[in-house]
Amino acid sequence: MARILKSLCAVALLAFAAASPLEAAVVVSSKLSAESAMIGQMIRLLLDAHGIPTVDRLRIGATPVVRQALLAGEIDLYVEYTGNAGLFFNDKADPAWKDLEQGYELGSRLDYAANRIVWLTPARASNAWALAVRGDVAQAYHLRTMSDFARWVSDGGDVVLICSAEFANAGTLRSLERTYGFRLRSAQLIVLAGGETAATIAAAAAGTNGANTAMVYGTDGGITAAHLQVLEDDRHEQPVYAPVPVIRESVLRQYPQIAAIVRPLMESFDPETLQRLNERVQINGESDEAVATEYLKSRGWLK
Amino acid sequence: MAITAPRERVDRLGLLLTVAGAAALIWLPFVVFKSNRIVPGEPRGLHEVLPLWAALGVQAVLLGTAAVALGVTDARKRLAAALAGIVVLALAAAAAANTLTPPGNKVVRTALGGAAWVLLLCLGLMATDAITRMRPGPLTRVLLLAMTLAVVGAALSHGTFDNLSVMREYAVNARRFPRELLRHIWLAGGSLIAAVLVGLPLGILCHRVPRLRPPVLGTLGVIQTIPGIALFGILMAPLGALAARVPAAAALGVSGIGAAPAVVALFLYSLLPIVANTVIGLRRVSHAAVDAACGMGMTGAQLLSRIELPLALPVILTGIRVVLVQNIGMVTVAALIGGGGLGTFVFQGIGQTAIDLVLLGAIPIVALGFSASVLLDALIETLDHTSSASAATRP
Repeated sequence: MARILKSLCAVALLAFAAASPLEAAVVVSSKLSAESAMIGQMIRLLLDAHGIPTVDRLRIGATPVVRQALLAGEIDLYVEYTGNAGLFFNDKADPAWKDLEQGYELGSRLDYAANRIVWLTPARASNAWALAVRGDVAQAYHLRTMSDFARWVSDGGDVVLICSAEFANAGTLRSLERTYGFRLRSAQLIVLAGGETAATIAAAAAGTNGANTAMVYGTDGGITAAHLQVLEDDRHEQPVYAPVPVIRESVLRQYPQIAAIVRPLMESFDPETLQRLNERVQINGESDEAVATEYLKSRGWLK
Repeated sequence: MAITAPRERVDRLGLLLTVAGAAALIWLPFVVFKSNRIVPGEPRGLHEVLPLWAALGVQAVLLGTAAVALGVTDARKRLAAALAGIVVLALAAAAAANTLTPPGNKVVRTALGGAAWVLLLCLGLMATDAITRMRPGPLTRVLLLAMTLAVVGAALSHGTFDNLSVMREYAVNARRFPRELLRHIWLAGGSLIAAVLVGLPLGILCHRVPRLRPPVLGTLGVIQTIPGIALFGILMAPLGALAARVPAAAALGVSGIGAAPAVVALFLYSLLPIVANTVIGLRRVSHAAVDAACGMGMTGAQLLSRIELPLALPVILTGIRVVLVQNIGMVTVAALIGGGGLGTFVFQGIGQTAIDLVLLGAIPIVALGFSASVLLDALIETLDHTSSASAATRP
């Protein structure tokens, strides 16, 4: 019996050992969201193309899970968003998060000092909460920025905003109202209990219950397809959530060329590019791998 | 006689299914057409998506099935009629999807509508009811399951349903699907095996030492009440700490996320049914058999391995069946902590509000659970027969 147990233990240990990734390969991971998985795919494909062995562990969970996995060393690289560092380091109030450069500087400094995590090049796009209005409304009232929007609302504009309960109640909407000096009456709000942006975008596009303005994420894929226009946060009220690949220092030491490989990719992203790519994954339902491959080929980074 | 005759003429279940199916076909859309995968979609009736002759043909077959469901008592005929209805319905849905999808278009989606789902449910109930009435032996049931899976698999790989929305999601995820499916089975099965290795001896111990029973079963019962995602969350911290402190554990793949917390959590959930059923199964063994074995001079180990365990096996297997089906469902949540499995599709789909992607994960999970249940049921019945037969021949 003891011998059987011993060999069973050995088998179990071997099974676990086999499940753990190879020592030298870079474990590329991502959150569940379409955008982070797609950028993760691009990085994985690029590393592969440069002869760096990778392990695909994309879409492993929500932010806390992926973050913990990186700190535990189970994964080596994933795409984070700059503003989230305020959450990680319990410092949401710092105004630096509302600026891409400052937020990147502060976040990368904190993360390196505390965890030896290196932030690579960020994209010049923000996945922050924003408001988007129907294209026809935006044209008729010349709405381009949040300031334009505030002026339109204060002049009695016929606005109906559809958003999530979190957006309406957790202070995001209030702080937008304070900064830009407008006030929405409750009759002008449609609050969805769950409130994914896919639902708000669809409702504003279809004009459900008169909705003409939607809560969105800045790089949401559905925005262009739904003929919505994102209002620019011209007073930089919202924290910037720019996608940024983060990597463990020990792995970057092993493959220092990764920084240079990732830089042109991240620099090639602007909000419109990401929206277009996200649209293909989120709306058209193409696989993130196919979209990533095609994008890299179109840029000449992949043969 | 005169009183029972009219009751036999109309089958009650058949009446219920016919009314439900007819109502669904009249008031609910047959398919839903979406201009892309996340918009709500427009309802389309049977006559809007199929040529007149085909739509009438589908309705004629469904009427025929309804007539059989109402008036025919022969279980084989009822099964044949239900299967015919299912096949015609599936082909009609596939044809509708092909009609609604412009060639080469990868953006528009055709999903089954309310009528199609309700009709499939009604026909499925009629088929399972017919199979139950036929009282097939365990082997026949397994064969029926295998045949069903083979036919469905052949139709899917042949591409008949490629334009239906769920299969479009499959096409996009074709490379990942087998990997996540195997991982799902591995997580559910692996934690089950671990739970049997620990739970069986623990159950035997509880049987032999009655004093242990209340504390052990009580503790396992408390674990059972912790919600799945909470237990995963609770385990993340200690396992992460273990991996950080003990390098050997980390080298073996133990960590706060991924497969380790999922397997440990499922293992803990699995213990109660296995331990409890082992105790109950051993208690069920008749005193006469135990006394006879003792009288023959069997040692404790011989008594256990030759008499008690074989006689308790059907009950223990029932516990294992409960655990396996429960695990197949619960592994889904493992996707939230990096464990992988079919839940990845479910949660990705929820995040993108893409219902078809949710179904791509959910339908195989249901099919897996159902198949596991049929297989183990058949095994239990076979063993039950042999053990009661041997008990009968050797009183």
